[in-house]
Amino acid sequence: MSEPDVLVVGGGPAGVAAAIELAQLGLTVTLAEQGSRLGGAIHRQYVGQGESPLAIPGRHRRHWQGLALGLANAGERIRVMVEAVFLGVDGDSRFLLDDRRAGKVIGLSPKAVVLAVGAIERIVPRPGWELPGVTTAGGMQLQLKETGEAPTGAILIAGNGPLPLALGAQLAAAGNPPLAILERGEPWRAALRHPAAAVAGLRSPAHVAEAAGYALRLARAGVPYRSGWSVTAIEALRQGLLVSCQHVSGRTMQHRVAHLALHDGLATNSSGLPAPVVDGVAIVRAGDCREVLGADAAISDGLRAARTIARQLCPAAPQRELARDFERELAAARRMQRSIQTLCRAADWPIAPDTVVCRCEGLRRSDLDSLQGASSAREIRLLGRFGMGACQGRSCLASVKAITAEAGASFDITVADPVVQRWPLRPVSVVALAAFSDV
Amino acid sequence: MSAAQNSPRVVVIGAGIVGAATAYYLTRAGAQVTVIDALTPAAGASGASDGAVSVATKRPGPMMRLAREARSLYGALERDGVLSGLFHRRSTYLFARTAEEVALLESHGADLANEGERVIALTRNDLLARIPGFGAAILAGLEVPDDGHALGYQVVNRLLAQAGVVVRRHCPVRGLSIAQRRVVGVETDDQQIAADVVVVAAGLGSSPLMGIDDVLVPRKGQLIVTDRASTKGAALPGPLMSARYLVAKRAATPGQSGVSLVIDPLRTGQFLIGSSREEGCADRQTDARTVAAILRDALEVYPALARQRVIRTFAGVRTATRDGLPIVGHHPQLAGLVIATGFEGDGICLGPLMGAAAARLACGLEAQIDIDFLTPKRFPTPAMAT
Amino acid sequence: MSGTLYWMGDAVAFRAGETVAAALRRSGIDDFGPALGELRARYFCGIGSCQACLVSLNGDSLIEACLTPAREGMRLSAALPLAEEHGHE
Ligand SMILES: Cc1cc2nc3c(=O)[nH]c(=O)nc-3n(C[C@H](O)[C@H](O)[C@H](O)COP(=O)(O)OP(=O)(O)OC[C@H]3O[C@@H](n4cnc5c(N)ncnc54)[C@H](O)[C@@H]3O)c2cc1C
Ligand SMILES: Cc1cc2nc3c(=O)[nH]c(=O)nc-3n(C[C@H](O)[C@H](O)[C@H](O)COP(=O)(O)OP(=O)(O)OC[C@H]3O[C@@H](n4cnc5c(N)ncnc54)[C@H](O)[C@@H]3O)c2cc1C
Ligand code: FES
Repeated sequence: MSEPDVLVVGGGPAGVAAAIELAQLGLTVTLAEQGSRLGGAIHRQYVGQGESPLAIPGRHRRHWQGLALGLANAGERIRVMVEAVFLGVDGDSRFLLDDRRAGKVIGLSPKAVVLAVGAIERIVPRPGWELPGVTTAGGMQLQLKETGEAPTGAILIAGNGPLPLALGAQLAAAGNPPLAILERGEPWRAALRHPAAAVAGLRSPAHVAEAAGYALRLARAGVPYRSGWSVTAIEALRQGLLVSCQHVSGRTMQHRVAHLALHDGLATNSSGLPAPVVDGVAIVRAGDCREVLGADAAISDGLRAARTIARQLCPAAPQRELARDFERELAAARRMQRSIQTLCRAADWPIAPDTVVCRCEGLRRSDLDSLQGASSAREIRLLGRFGMGACQGRSCLASVKAITAEAGASFDITVADPVVQRWPLRPVSVVALAAFSDV
Repeated sequence: MSAAQNSPRVVVIGAGIVGAATAYYLTRAGAQVTVIDALTPAAGASGASDGAVSVATKRPGPMMRLAREARSLYGALERDGVLSGLFHRRSTYLFARTAEEVALLESHGADLANEGERVIALTRNDLLARIPGFGAAILAGLEVPDDGHALGYQVVNRLLAQAGVVVRRHCPVRGLSIAQRRVVGVETDDQQIAADVVVVAAGLGSSPLMGIDDVLVPRKGQLIVTDRASTKGAALPGPLMSARYLVAKRAATPGQSGVSLVIDPLRTGQFLIGSSREEGCADRQTDARTVAAILRDALEVYPALARQRVIRTFAGVRTATRDGLPIVGHHPQLAGLVIATGFEGDGICLGPLMGAAAARLACGLEAQIDIDFLTPKRFPTPAMAT
Repeated sequence: MSGTLYWMGDAVAFRAGETVAAALRRSGIDDFGPALGELRARYFCGIGSCQACLVSLNGDSLIEACLTPAREGMRLSAALPLAEEHGHE
């Protein structure tokens, strides 16, 4: 294997779009994706025969077909590595990939890098969120897209924003509609209070059509959409889960389900990622890992990232005509996201003392509270072990930050040491790392 | 100055293990103590190291004796409740992979025994009986049963809490205030803090403060943390240390860079695997090349590590000295200045003992043990401005 | 179904291309065994981020069930009991 000009990490729409554009601009690309197929969160591929039963919106299908074609046309210029997990940059400025097919870690020294590792779902801890049977809404959706099969038994979706609607409609299409979709916010009320936000949301016909399609399917399946409801606690029963819910008015309700899907919004998957320039190598973030703007904008952002890099790597080459105004496309997506946020805004609730905060190490809020006097991120990590587990704080540090901020902390635990390159960003087998080699 | 002698105002620069221990013993002696750190407690080597409280690897002679004292002090502090739950006895297992290393283990075992240390020479079969996973390359070993372990950052945190001192954080000391060949305080960015005595325990940061140039050398060490091999405490009865480590340790001036392998079973069930010795490096970066070399070595020694995942790497910077010995004592020329630095790879072990010694010196007393061989006077001092 | 893997010794059918987690889910296996702090391992985020879905593959180092494609004959087991079998103390 030879050194590529550019390493692109993440095989979602942003990464694939960037790779294709870079190849068209004459650069060689290694496209690394941790999963076994490209597609990312939105275009997760169906493994069954024929068409997926989920009725994926035509726009998304067309976008992916376009990207797949672009990849095929790029030929040798793009080397796709699947089951290759990006581990970060080391002190020698090597970009490390855990090549799981080869069973070893390799180090690349590309001229530039695109990071397109997508978003992560925000989940505010509540009692019982750590139980089996509880997943993120996106997580449930990925399996659904992959298999075309819904989990069996009663399902409840409780979340915030549009993703629960898509999941609910797709579950219905797969033959097991959820008992209900609980929305923490109160979009109808918010629309009355913020008509401008509602109007902004309606300005994107594609999104309106997508949402209408989901709403129709949910209505046909008789799935109630209840706004203003939050899940406050989850208990394991001998069979399934008992989910306690509360409405903003104070009313409460319980559901017995086999599966619960939670979703408190999306956040950039940027924890631990290297700085914009490491040892002279430009590192451009693209797609939801730079700013959560959704699937359409991810493609635009991938193209934008590719152009940014091309300008740096081949300044002499004539720039291709800008057929598209990326900034305008991104601004439109940003307006859309803002309007969704305004319409679905909901306050987080306090995290109770015995609620699990760090699942990896099994730590609860009370463990954090008992660290009085720990007044730096380092002490919370070293003495409290928060952020020291296998997920390296991706799941807990946002909550730790909220809790410590509430207590008046002057530091931000989510900010890593700027001086030191953090790696591995993800756990890696001892054997694979021992087999490290440069390409 | 008699009032000051009863209750001297002491500024301790550095909240690593040595500074924290000094502060602890000073407050017990009734001094008024201020601890200042450029960053936060344990921000230096004390928070980025392994925690072998070990005699097994010490250079024969006075350092070995010092380590024995230091280790018994840990035992006493643990019994007295000061360090309860933080110091744990466990064996150290030195292992040899070549005939030369076997011979080295033999002579080192004899040196340890001479100092009164219990040692158990182990054949390969003895070793396998104790640690079934040992690799085929291991020929023989030496068990030192009375060693122990403590985590530097936990000890720092506990000693500071016990001392009841609040550390001034993010407050780098820029210089000492000197009047008539006497240190009368320290200068930070925004103030001058008066003191009867100043203790410099700032690790590598001591260099510009202690008035002795060119004796401290950074020596970086990269460390690897794995996921848990056990949920019921340490996955091995003690750390596995390469006899090659002794080559580095027994040399008078261990200048060479290289890897001295230690596979340390943490009480969380994780492994801490180290470490490189990178002369002249003060950055805290880790690199895949070095980490992979350490892991290959570790897999040869203990193949069961193949089941683990690496979840973190980090590097700490040891403060070494030109002659390989720590620096503890009064400044040769300036009154009111006590220095305690240069503990290289031994500061977790030696920290509490050296803090106790520095505290006594700061109070105008003799150290409780013989530390004359550590005196700063052995280095030439540039003429000091007054 | 196109293949068989084994979860704690029991056969689990899978379809080519799907992840280990998807195959376990179809067989009704939501609980992947004990995790730290008396918690349980389980599928959660689906994107390799939360590390809650770790399982042991053929007794080697742990893998994310949500990222790893199912392969013929894989022997999967809960992450922790493996740990306990060679622990000391
Ligand atoms: C679980 C989930 C489900 C979602 N479902 C929808 C949906 O149905 N509809 C919708 O409009 N939006 C959905 N979103 C939002 C979605 O992220 C964006 O719409 C869009 O997919 C963003 O594209 P992207 O290329 O930026 O990121 P993604 O599509 O998320 O692609 C990122 C890619 O990077 C890979 N990756 C991550 N880390 C590494 C690493 N360290 N090494 C190698 N590869 C890595 C991932 O496997 C992934 O393939 C979802 C988000 C999540 C997190
Ligand atoms: C990889 C590695 C492994 C090790 N393993 C072991 C082991 O197993 N056993 C063992 O006994 N030892 C070990 N050590 C050695 C041990 O960590 C050190 O010897 C010990 O921590 C030194 O403590 P200290 O208090 O002297 O210095 P440090 O812990 O470095 O503390 C110095 C403090 O001073 C502060 N400071 C610096 N300059 C200033 C200034 N101008 N103003 C204010 N504050 C300042 C710093 O911020 C820091 O907090 C290891 C070290 C490393 C790097
Ligand atoms: S489910 Fe989160 S890492 Fe696999």
